[in-house]
Amino acid sequence: MRDLRIAAVADIHLGEDVRGHYRKRLEGIEHRADVLLVGGDLTRHGTLEEGRVVAGELRDLPVPVIAVLGNHDYHSDRDREIISVLRDAGIVVLDDEAAVLDLDGVRLGVAGGKGFGGGFAGKCASEFGEPETKAFVRHTRDIAERWRSALKSIEADHRIVLSHYSPVKDTLMGEPPEIYPFLGSYLLAEAADEQGADLVVHGHAHAGTEKGVTPGGIRVRNVALPVIKHAYSVYCLGEDC
Amino acid sequence: METPQYVAARVQRALAEDERTNELGIRVDVRGEQVYLRGQVSCSERRHQIENVARETAPGMRVHNEITLVEMLEPGEEEHL
Repeated sequence: MRDLRIAAVADIHLGEDVRGHYRKRLEGIEHRADVLLVGGDLTRHGTLEEGRVVAGELRDLPVPVIAVLGNHDYHSDRDREIISVLRDAGIVVLDDEAAVLDLDGVRLGVAGGKGFGGGFAGKCASEFGEPETKAFVRHTRDIAERWRSALKSIEADHRIVLSHYSPVKDTLMGEPPEIYPFLGSYLLAEAADEQGADLVVHGHAHAGTEKGVTPGGIRVRNVALPVIKHAYSVYCLGEDC
Repeated sequence: METPQYVAARVQRALAEDERTNELGIRVDVRGEQVYLRGQVSCSERRHQIENVARETAPGMRVHNEITLVEMLEPGEEEHL
């Protein structure tokens, strides 16, 4: 079985003011990668107009594109419409679900969605007290549960989890520790570790670091544009990698 | 003089919530009458807008815009996992 080359980026924060800039950087991607994963914060304000710019930049690429939304993409309450616009442009958008692509005979399964926060084991919020606190924690717990089911449903040669929020602290190093609970949750890592995956890709932490690992040993990569400083990173999966 | 921590918090909140910016990743430090903005954004227009919002939120203070533009180099070498 041949190796798979996964291009990944997050936090591209597109809008009318930068239309066309990112697309230029994607030229020749078919020579470098088999698929492009985009880990949320596609827009800045989450408006439908910005969603249309994103669709324009990512449509008709020579490789398939799989994306999730980020917190910015929810800001204007147009998240459902943004998802539709992206899907109409041929982009696979994961909203706590899975997709399996056949990439020249190698099946790649990708599960995920936006994710959410709550913090990391031993220093995190619990489903206790005021309804607002319980709702916050329950949101992440529900997402993790949906990711478990999504991962379980995948029959493929390789499995990747695509998220906006981080599943581990490792890739947040550089961010103030006080805001870690707003940057990710260990519940996301727990779901991936339980069901198994080859890689978790996320964004959100602009001041974080690229490389980390889940408690169960799955590699984690923070591909936020300010972190990787390249149009995208490429990760190679396979027996020869 | 207003407590610097509250000025910094107000500017940071404005940068996140003002629709001209909606920037969450900007660090705001206040020392005396000086406001320092640090972080990265995608284009110079966004950089200027952040400065404008900070000036409006901290009137009478000197704003130092140390925000840089996000580098976006050609894709580099692939990592084998």
